[in-house]
Amino acid sequence: MIRLTNNTKILTQEFEYFAPKTLAGALDLLYRYQDKNTRILAGGTDLLVKMKTIGLDADYLISIKEIPELKFIDTDAGLRIGAAVPLSHIEKIEKVREKYPALYESIKSMAAIAIRNMATMPGNICNASPAGDTIPPLIAYEAKLKLVSKRGERTVLVEDFITGVGKTIIKRDELLTQVIIPEISKNSGGAFLKKGRVKADIAKINLAVCLKREGEICKDCRIVLGSVFIKAVRAKKAEELLRGQVINNDLIIKTAKKASEVIKPIDDIRSTAEYRTELARVMTEDALKLAWGRAGGEL
Amino acid sequence: MSEFKIVGKPIPRDDAWAKVTGELKYADDFSLPGMLYAKVLRSKYPAAKIISINTAKAEKLNGVRAVLTAKDVPHNETVTRFGQSSEVGKGFEGLYRVLADKKVRFMGEAVALVAADTEEIAEKALDLIEVNYETLPGVFDPVEAMKPGAYLVGENNSNIIGQFGCSQGDIIKGFAEADIIIEDTYKVPFVDHAYLETEGGIAWIDDYGVINIRVGSQVIEHFRDVADVLGLSHNKVRYIGTMMGGGFGGKEDITVEAYLALLTWKTKKPVRLFYTREESILCHSKRHPFVMKYKVGAKKDGKLVALNAELISDAGAYPYLSPWVNLYATVNAAGPYCIPNVKVRTYCVLTNNTFTSANRGFGAPQPNVVYESLMDELAHKLNISPLEIRRRNCLTTGKSLSTTGQVFKTYVALPEVAEKAWEALGELAKCEDKNRKVGRGLAIGLMSYGRMTFLHDSSRCYVRLESDGSVLIRSGIPDLGGGQVSLLCQIVAEELGIPMSKIKIYYSDTALTPLAGTTTATRQTYMSGNATLKAARKIRKRIISKAAELLNVNPDKLDIIEEKVIVKYNQSQYLPLVEVIKACNTAGIELFCEVQFNAPFTIVPDLSNIRGMTFPDFTFGAQAVEVAVDTETGQVEILKLITCYDVGKAINPLSVEGQMEGGSIYGMGYALMEEVIIEKGITMTPSFSEYIIPTAADVPDVKAILVESGGGLGPYGAKGIGEPACSIIAPAILNAIYDAIGVRIKNLPATPEKIIRALKKEYFEK
Repeated sequence: MIRLTNNTKILTQEFEYFAPKTLAGALDLLYRYQDKNTRILAGGTDLLVKMKTIGLDADYLISIKEIPELKFIDTDAGLRIGAAVPLSHIEKIEKVREKYPALYESIKSMAAIAIRNMATMPGNICNASPAGDTIPPLIAYEAKLKLVSKRGERTVLVEDFITGVGKTIIKRDELLTQVIIPEISKNSGGAFLKKGRVKADIAKINLAVCLKREGEICKDCRIVLGSVFIKAVRAKKAEELLRGQVINNDLIIKTAKKASEVIKPIDDIRSTAEYRTELARVMTEDALKLAWGRAGGEL
Repeated sequence: MSEFKIVGKPIPRDDAWAKVTGELKYADDFSLPGMLYAKVLRSKYPAAKIISINTAKAEKLNGVRAVLTAKDVPHNETVTRFGQSSEVGKGFEGLYRVLADKKVRFMGEAVALVAADTEEIAEKALDLIEVNYETLPGVFDPVEAMKPGAYLVGENNSNIIGQFGCSQGDIIKGFAEADIIIEDTYKVPFVDHAYLETEGGIAWIDDYGVINIRVGSQVIEHFRDVADVLGLSHNKVRYIGTMMGGGFGGKEDITVEAYLALLTWKTKKPVRLFYTREESILCHSKRHPFVMKYKVGAKKDGKLVALNAELISDAGAYPYLSPWVNLYATVNAAGPYCIPNVKVRTYCVLTNNTFTSANRGFGAPQPNVVYESLMDELAHKLNISPLEIRRRNCLTTGKSLSTTGQVFKTYVALPEVAEKAWEALGELAKCEDKNRKVGRGLAIGLMSYGRMTFLHDSSRCYVRLESDGSVLIRSGIPDLGGGQVSLLCQIVAEELGIPMSKIKIYYSDTALTPLAGTTTATRQTYMSGNATLKAARKIRKRIISKAAELLNVNPDKLDIIEEKVIVKYNQSQYLPLVEVIKACNTAGIELFCEVQFNAPFTIVPDLSNIRGMTFPDFTFGAQAVEVAVDTETGQVEILKLITCYDVGKAINPLSVEGQMEGGSIYGMGYALMEEVIIEKGITMTPSFSEYIIPTAADVPDVKAILVESGGGLGPYGAKGIGEPACSIIAPAILNAIYDAIGVRIKNLPATPEKIIRALKKEYFEK
């Protein structure tokens, strides 16, 4: 339940604030305060709002905004993006626009420019909202996350990282340091679609697809829907219908219908389950056509 | 006057630069040394008995300076007023309660006030106030609340707080003559004003013991109501109104002022209180939801013969301006049509929802949604074009309003505005996508400008010509962003032949500026415009007459242009304005004056059958839209949006266009997305992430067509435009959706969810 009257635009709670200048410094702090109520501050566009409105509290806030090691963008092989890079920087990378259109479109669809100037991709991922816009494209592109702690490091798929509403597998001493997106093969196509109530809005439903084409055949595909379940989900049964098949309009329509059958949307303040199911079908169809075209395929 | 120099020109407003550079000091841009911060403790339940309140812990908190509850308020219960000074009787005066006492009536009702050294301490103190509630069942639907035996929201034995009616002819006979009859029920929701600037202000006690309240308010005359709450004489409370970041009727009732006055009176220190967005949505007034049951009958040729309407509105938990809003709805219920047989009944009902009150349009937009939808349905059923059916039925000059019988003596711009709006749509957009259907809709309407005539409305203005040829104006006019203040400067500049830059205006101060009445009811251009014109013309006359004497010509041969008093037929013959001023001063001629302008006065009507004049005049308009509806997603895109009004005379066309464009978007949000969802008294849309309004990217280009008939009662023949501008667009959009996909939405807002559901229903029924 939202505490309706207490958004004073100021943080009323007391907490200790750290802004380490090195990754090692941040990891030290995380290690030291792992048993305490500690939060990592990247863009703050979700965290600070929650602290002001729904009484989410923190005793220790660790800002990672001033760590140069987390501010890199590497486009050599695939994409590697540091955790402190704001979304507005990512949308300006040429390679993102050209090779990862689903990611580009998802970022462009998010909130207002002022928010994108602060918000980060790892923030969107760790917030683990079912409606998070970068999550479906990252799963569609088989992106991985690097999780680092004083104990060592590990790399996990975005798909495996989120487990439920606001829930992830990150450990309390770990920091998500970078997002790694594999190189995209030739003849691949991606697309992201979203429906909100107005142009800048949280999604009623969002979805990303990524297809690999070989002649007239769809060699591989991923269809990921957001805001229709406790987390972004792959419509695997729908993917199976396309994989290894010659793509035509009828098959796309059939696949889209299947995608709308495997989701479990709910009624909430933004939309209804009925509408989301309807939209899942329509949008999957549109996204598949768009992505197939971008992969060089014809219908 | 021969030709306008400043009036009618699209000139930048007096306040434009200060606003764009950020120099303008809004209510929030102000502080005083030693200022305390106030917070309001609000009810957790929509309906509950207050068993006890314990403030001891909060009072002991370091930094807390005052904690007040109902028992600390000298006069906790008074009556709601909105600046009127004439007696209007009990039918309109509802209970105004400052702090909840014994019982809470809605979630978010103010229960206690705190003033503390910081905002944080004030918030902490709220948590320390212990209120012991016993919840009560409550009632949340006005139709339920009307039934005998319903839970009683207030202390009276009925939840119905207002009943209004009007009728003419005989509806039984009328419907018997009809070839076609349509009956339907429409519903419209609560909506929020959603101004950028929430409610707020700062109060302090000055050197003379007067409580000063610097606040964003549309009604500075509330100084009297605040004084009554404290039991002070009226001259011991002063309002200093600031430029507002939006009003839309939401700053027409008292907002923070009584709380501020009580806390500053108690602590003797300056106190600041601003609502958060959540508070503004949860606790302050909303637009009335209505359930509207209509029956209309027409002949085969589309001629209307009868209309029967029953309107039920949700007043929420306290009356505020509900009776007035319902009176407006009653008068507007039959629209701008000639219908021989009409009956309208309106019920205004208390519930345990957030209270409703003034919201731009004030009861006119709600019935407009219905009668314009029904006219469209008639047109489709009788195979007559939307324009033609309106041509055949609309009011024209000399005809009378079908509800009250008020006769239109001034020019009625119907069907002119409808024709212009419809025509401006041009060629129908082509669409290749088979799932994207294009459609068009038209709606017309009327809305009064100026207050109800039985309120005996007046406005005042003071103008002084200085010896150097500059001018000082004092007017109590509040400016909610519509350019009200700048308008007065323009009138004086025109009449005295001086540039806008030589005018200084003081506004919205109950101690120092003559009271100009409220910035509500689309009345300021009409009322304060006329008062200012009257004052300026008095001074103009004195200048001209002195100049005539000096130049030895007839006064009617003179004009004041660019700071010169000129002989019209020989422009090389003139006197500089300052010379004439000098001569006046030497001769002891007064170059200042304060005048009053009175609207027409009528007596309070019989509320069960309202007849005759209730408003000075009306503004007529039409809106036409072209939409594309996606039949797979239900998404409505507005391709063209035309707004056409007879504004009488556009004193500043830029401001008038701004009102017409903004009004269209305000109504577009109403049609397509806005709704304060209140479930069992609990607001489910407490912030802008749940309560959705159009963003800049959702707004189409709006084409504004200004008809200037010169037929208005305002200065230079101007009419009011602020509220009329938003009151017609919603049904135009609904009608366009019907035209595109054959589905009629009867329950606002027309969200994609509702459109898809209706399409599916339509599909299965076929």
